[in-house]
Amino acid sequence: MELLIVAVFVAGYLLIALEHPIRINKTATALLTGVVCWTIFTLSGPTESLQHSAEYSELAEKAHLVGPGVADDMEVHREYVIHSLREHLAEIAEILFFLMGAMTIVELVDSHRGFKLVTDRIRTTNAKTLLWVICWVTFFLSAILDNLTTTIVMVSLTRKLVANRDTRLFFAGLIVVAANAGGAWSPIGDVTTTMLWIGGQITASSIIKSLFIPSVACMLVPLIFLSFTMKGKLGEGKTSGHDEKTPGTANLMLVVGVGALISVPIFKTLTHLPPYLGMMLGLGVLWVVSEIVNPDLDESEKKHFTAVHALSRIDMPSVLFFLGILLAVASLQSMHLLQDFAVYLNDTLGDNRVIITLIGMLSAIVDNVPLVAASMGMYSMDVYPPDHLIWEYLAYCAGTGGSMLVIGSAAGVAAMGMEKIDFIWYLKRITLLAAMGYFAGAAVYLFITHV
Amino acid sequence: MDILIIVAFIAGYVLIALEHPIRINKTATAILTGVVCWTLFVFMDPGPALLESKAFSDFRALLSIEHTQQDIAAMTPDEMHHEFVGYELNEHLAAIAQILFFLLGAMTIVELVDAHRGFRYITDRIQTRNPRTLLWIICFVTFFLSSILDNLTTSIVMVSLIRKLIHDKEMRLTFAGMIVIAANAGGAWTPIGDVTTTMLWIGGQISTGSIMTSLFIPSLVCLLVPVLFLGFRLKGKILDTADSAHQATEVKGGRLMLFLGIGALVSVPVFKTVTHLPPYLGMLCGLGVLWVVSEVLHPELDEVAKKNYTVAGALSRVDVPSVLFFLGILLAVGSLESMQVLNQFAAYLDRSLGDQRIIITLIGLLSAVVDNVPLVAASMGMYSLNTFPMDHMIWEYLAYCAGTGGSILIIGSAAGVAVMGMEKVDFIWYLKKISFLALLGYVGGALAYVLIKG
Repeated sequence: MELLIVAVFVAGYLLIALEHPIRINKTATALLTGVVCWTIFTLSGPTESLQHSAEYSELAEKAHLVGPGVADDMEVHREYVIHSLREHLAEIAEILFFLMGAMTIVELVDSHRGFKLVTDRIRTTNAKTLLWVICWVTFFLSAILDNLTTTIVMVSLTRKLVANRDTRLFFAGLIVVAANAGGAWSPIGDVTTTMLWIGGQITASSIIKSLFIPSVACMLVPLIFLSFTMKGKLGEGKTSGHDEKTPGTANLMLVVGVGALISVPIFKTLTHLPPYLGMMLGLGVLWVVSEIVNPDLDESEKKHFTAVHALSRIDMPSVLFFLGILLAVASLQSMHLLQDFAVYLNDTLGDNRVIITLIGMLSAIVDNVPLVAASMGMYSMDVYPPDHLIWEYLAYCAGTGGSMLVIGSAAGVAAMGMEKIDFIWYLKRITLLAAMGYFAGAAVYLFITHV
Repeated sequence: MDILIIVAFIAGYVLIALEHPIRINKTATAILTGVVCWTLFVFMDPGPALLESKAFSDFRALLSIEHTQQDIAAMTPDEMHHEFVGYELNEHLAAIAQILFFLLGAMTIVELVDAHRGFRYITDRIQTRNPRTLLWIICFVTFFLSSILDNLTTSIVMVSLIRKLIHDKEMRLTFAGMIVIAANAGGAWTPIGDVTTTMLWIGGQISTGSIMTSLFIPSLVCLLVPVLFLGFRLKGKILDTADSAHQATEVKGGRLMLFLGIGALVSVPVFKTVTHLPPYLGMLCGLGVLWVVSEVLHPELDEVAKKNYTVAGALSRVDVPSVLFFLGILLAVGSLESMQVLNQFAAYLDRSLGDQRIIITLIGLLSAVVDNVPLVAASMGMYSLNTFPMDHMIWEYLAYCAGTGGSILIIGSAAGVAVMGMEKVDFIWYLKKISFLALLGYVGGALAYVLIKG
C-alpha cells in the first residue's frame, strides 16, 4: 500500500510536469492526486512502521483507554488519519490564506498603479543591470520578509519593468532563486531556518555569519552565468506605461500596501498569532482605504479600484493547486514515508554532509518542512550541540534546494501562479542554474568551515 | 476584556448590517472584526471561567503529550495563554477551512455546469409561468433535497436554477430567501441533512427513526407558514425572458456536465461514508474529475474560446469575497467560542430561566446571530444524557431550533451566506423582507412540535 501511494504520487507528479503536452490542467491533477493519496491511506490499514511511530501509538493508547468499548485497529487507524489530516489542513489553510491575502494586496496596489512610483525610479534599460538590481533587492528583502511575500512583490515589479515575456520569465526564475537564497541565512527569512532557530539548533548571530557567504554564492553563480548568456531585451512596454494616467491615490495605496506587508512580522511578534491573520488585517485595512479614497468616482469607474475586483484577478487555480499538492505531500508525511526515507538515507550513507545535501535536493520535490522536522528528530542535540555544522548546513540545504524545481518552494509556486511558468520550461532553463548555485554555496560552506 | 471583545464583535456586526449606507464592503469589516477579536483575546488575562473550562483541560492534556512536565512547569501564565490561543485558533482554522474549501468546490462545480448551460435541461422542464406555482415547486424540491444533501449544496444548486428561471431581480431575491428557509427546515428532520442534527445523532442524543417521525411535521410547518403567507402576497410575473435564454445555442457536453456535476455533488456523502474522510475532500475530488472532463471535452476550440468552459474561467466567476467574508465572520465567532462566552451565556440562560423549552427556543434565535455548532455543542455539555435520555424532548427540540433558527438572519446559516454570495442579497433587505417570514415559520414549527408532544 505504501508502494501504491508512492506510485500515485509519482504519477501525479509526472502528469503535473507534462501539463502542456497532455493538455490537462495541473490543478485538476494536483487535487485528484491529493484526494486519491488520502483515500488509499485511509482505506488500507496502518503499515508496520506507522504502528511503531510515537504519534500513532499514543493515539492507539488513548483510543483503547477512553474510547467507547475497545476500539479495533481499523478504527484507531481512521482516527489517526482524520486527526493528522486536520492538523495538515490547518497548516495548509494558513499558507493559502496568507497567499491569497498577499496576492490581493499586491493586485490592489497594482490597480491603483502604485508600483509605477517604484518602477519609475529604475531608469536602466539594460537587461543585465536590471537583473543584478532585482536579484540583490530580492536577496536582502527576503532576509527580512518571508520568501513568499518577497517573490510576489518582486514579480509584480518585473511585470511593469520587463515587457518581453521570455526575458521576464528568466527574471521570475532568478527571483525564486534569490528569494530562497536570501531566506536561508536569516532566522526570520525562511520557515525551515526559523524552525531550527526556534528549536534551539542554531543561534541568530552564528547562522547569519556562517551562511551569509554561502547564500550569496548560491545566488551569484546563477546570476553571473545568466548575465553572460542572456540576450533578451526588456521590451518597450515600460515607456508606453508612462503615458497612462496615474490616479492621485497611487502614493497612498503603495505606502499602505507595503506597510501592510512589512507589518506582518511585527504583528506576529507582538501578538504571537500566525502570520496569515496579520496579512488579513493588512488586507482589511487596505480594503477599507480603497473604498473611501475614491468618493468622487461613480460605481462603474470605482469598480476597477476595489478589492472585489482585485480578488477576481488573483489566480485561484494556483491556490487550489497548492492545496492539492500540499495535501498529497502531507499524506506521505502522515504515513511516515519521508521520515523512513531520511532514516534509510542515514543508515546507508553514513556521512552527514552527503545525507544533508541529498535532503536539500529532495526538498525540491516534497515540502522542506517535514524533511527538516524529520532531520531534527533524527539527530540528537546531545550529540550535535547548537550551531554544529550539520544544523547550519541543514538550514542552507533545505532553504535553497527547493529552487531546483518550480514547485519545490512556496516562492516558486507563487511565481508560477503569477507568471504562468511552465514546469518543463523551468526545468530546462532555470533548474541547471539553481543546481549550480546550490552546489557552489554548499562547497563554499564546507570549505569555509573546514579552514 | 470579555466585554471589549463582545463590543468589537457587535460593532463589526452592525457595520456588516449597514454595509450599503456606510459604503464599506462587508468582507473588509468581517476580516477586521475576526482579526481584532483574536488580537484582543491574546492580550486578555484568562479568567477562571476560561481556566476551568473543558477546552482548557483538553489543551493541557495535549500539551503534556508534546512537552515534558518541566517544560510545562517553566511556562509563565502568559506563555501558557499564548499557547492556548494558538491551539484554539488552529482548531477553528481547520474547521473553517473545511467549510470554505467545500464551498469553493461546490460553487465552482455549479459555475462549470452553468457555463456549459447544463441547467437548461432541468429548467426547460419547468413550464409554469405562474410565480406561486413555481414557489411551491422550488420550496418543496429544496426541502426534500436538503434532507439528503447538506443545506449548503442544496441552496447553491437551487439558487443557480432560479437564476435561469426568474429574471426579475426583486422576485429572484425573494425566491432565494425562501430557498434558505426551505433548506434549513429540510435539513433539521434527518440525521444527515444538517450539521447540528448530525452532531446530536453521532453523540447518541437522538435516534434516526425517532427524530424523523417527531420533526417531520414541525419542519414542514416551518416551511409551510412562510410559503402560504408569501403565496398570498406574491405579485409580479415571471417574464418570458426565460424563453430568450432557450434560444441560446446549445453547448457541447451540456448534458454530460449536468450529470457529472450533480453526480459529483450527490456522491460527496457517499465518499464520506466509504472513506470516513471529511466532505471537502469528496467535493475536491468531484471538482478534479469535472475539471479533467471539461478540458478534454473541447479539443477543437482554441485557447480563447475554450477559456469560457474551463474551470479557470469558472473560478474567476466564483465569489471569492464571500469566501473571505465567511472566513472573517467564522473567526470572530470562533474567538467568542474559545473565550467560553457562548458557553457562559448558555449556562446563564439555564440558571435564570429554568424552563428548558424557553431556553432552547432562545438558543435557536441566538443561532441566527452566531454559529449554531458551538451553541449545540454547549447545550450537549450542559444537559447530561443521564438526566435526559436518548430521544428526550429537549434533544429533539434542540435539533429543530438550532437547525431552523438560523434562517432568521441572512448570515445566520451556511445556506444563507452561500445565497448572499451568489445573489448579492443585502443584509438589510433580508431583514426587511424575509426575517419576519422566517420567524413566523420558526415559531409555527416550534408550536407544532410542542403541541404534538402534548
